[in-house]
Amino acid sequence: MIGDGIPLGDVLLASAALFMIGLAGVLLRRNAITIFLSIELMMNAANLTVLGYAASLHSLEGQVVVFFVIAIAAAEAAVGLAIFVALFRHTETIDVNRINLLKW
Amino acid sequence: MDPVTASRLLFDAAAGLAILFACVMVVHRHPVKSVLALVVSFFALAVTYVLLSAPLIAAVQVIVYAGAILVLFLFVLMLLNVPEEIRQKSGRPIHQTLSAAAILVFAVALLATLRAHGSPGAVPGSPSAPADIRAVARLLFSEHLLSFEALSILLLAALVGSFCLARREGSS
Amino acid sequence: MTALDWAITALRVLVPVLAILMALPILLWLERRGAGLIQDRPGPNRVGPLGLLQPLADVVKFFMKEDLVPANADRLLYVLAPAIALFSAMTTFAVIPYGATVPVGGREVLLVGADVSIGILYLFALTSLSVYGIVLAGWSSNNKFSLIGGIRSSAQIISYELAMTTAAAGVILAAGSFRLTDVVAMQTGTWFGFIPRWNLIPQFFGFVVFYVAAFAETNRLPFDLPEAEAELVAGYHTEYSAMKFAMFFMAEYINMIVASALTVTLFFGGWALPGFEPHGIGGAILSALIFFAKTAFFVWIFIWVRWTLPRFRYDQLMRLGWKALLPIALLNLIWVAFLVVKGWIR
Repeated sequence: MIGDGIPLGDVLLASAALFMIGLAGVLLRRNAITIFLSIELMMNAANLTVLGYAASLHSLEGQVVVFFVIAIAAAEAAVGLAIFVALFRHTETIDVNRINLLKW
Repeated sequence: MDPVTASRLLFDAAAGLAILFACVMVVHRHPVKSVLALVVSFFALAVTYVLLSAPLIAAVQVIVYAGAILVLFLFVLMLLNVPEEIRQKSGRPIHQTLSAAAILVFAVALLATLRAHGSPGAVPGSPSAPADIRAVARLLFSEHLLSFEALSILLLAALVGSFCLARREGSS
Repeated sequence: MTALDWAITALRVLVPVLAILMALPILLWLERRGAGLIQDRPGPNRVGPLGLLQPLADVVKFFMKEDLVPANADRLLYVLAPAIALFSAMTTFAVIPYGATVPVGGREVLLVGADVSIGILYLFALTSLSVYGIVLAGWSSNNKFSLIGGIRSSAQIISYELAMTTAAAGVILAAGSFRLTDVVAMQTGTWFGFIPRWNLIPQFFGFVVFYVAAFAETNRLPFDLPEAEAELVAGYHTEYSAMKFAMFFMAEYINMIVASALTVTLFFGGWALPGFEPHGIGGAILSALIFFAKTAFFVWIFIWVRWTLPRFRYDQLMRLGWKALLPIALLNLIWVAFLVVKGWIR
């Protein structure tokens, strides 16, 4: 039932849109957790690009790359959230506007 | 014009859904609802991965990203009891206008690049080039073995690091 | 795709779904009568002969009860949570092969909902998604006990998920494929002519870990502290009534059936029996019945254990999952790798 023919342009457009949305989230939101989620979204946009090219060039290396990216994102999310938890215990806020002192 | 096939329609639908829920995630004020919108978005992305002949990565995406990382986010949100963000005048209007301008410029540049290089041809859909999981595994364990082992050390480091960071001071 | 293709695909998917839905009332009756049997009391015997219409009475009760949403509860998530739980429970059965091939219209049709190349990974993906149903139910109810129950339950599920998938990884390693049809195919035949080639024998500890983790994954006793009546009122489904509660209930029983079916497929040869070569439609139906019988046996053990063993305390539960089951599962994986390298397993 499913045949050929997803144009690479479609894939790139979709991942570009996702990346833009993630970028907007990182730059314009104040909540630290939402910023982190937007970063994860940007990583997924990159994954989609890599997989699009991998499928178009008949290469399986792309899948290996994305596999590594997902695992690294997991490690990074764990450490990042641990930092947030530690930060929140000290400052009682996760509004990035208020966390603006290097040492208190 | 590219031919309209079933897999292309499915891809457009899934990608559209992913983009829609990504917008919901960025706009919504309540962090828990943001996380849930992102879960749906990632699930839709997993569907697109299947259409791009990467079923293993789609499964890994759902198991690891949507099913573990975002659950971790949810747990942290509930632990910290993060409240709904109140819409208020931002204390940094210059930052906001500059950010919006930068995003617009970047978007225009990206679209211009895409248009300039044109559509590099169609991507073969699933069953004509089904991804062989054994081949991916073979690659992972032969050419990229060093990276794989380094990844396991990275995960161990992340485990120890997050444990040390998040525990309360003075506890054993 | 011809009309025949569509019909075959529809039937392949619908037959197990309908079978599970029809098995639910029987399972409900079995649980309550079985509980009575084990506790030396009659169990429900008023409604119909032997209490066989009790499930019907329960369904009517669920339809008639007042369907309320607590004040200050997050409406969308409150309604969505049981739907997520039920959806992920029902769709997991799609990859489990429930019978041998059936010759239809000149070709062999596998009796499985969808024979995807990622087989068991699809199942684990959906199990990961079911965590959301529980944690959202706990959080959106706007109730302290629900929240604690929801968090405990989801922490329990993700902990035991590790042990379960590592135990299953041993089977996947031996089979060399994620497809459950391949896993069943490698368990046909015998050793020495009479010992069936089930994965139970070389991977006994893997089976033990998997089955114990399956109890924890389905929130069944002895791991049901998150929904224990005496502890947390009713845990994450405290605030749910009528149809939404029925959906959680159904999701739990379907999870039980799927966990038993998966145990049978991975460790007990699925629909295969030594010395049984299924031919044609008769053979396929017989193989489906064999599969059903094996699954029913393991479902009965779920019920039996529930009314026999006391429940684990939460810290004991987490300690068991991380410090006992996970290391055993890893050792099992190493053992299977050794067997595969030596060539003693196909």
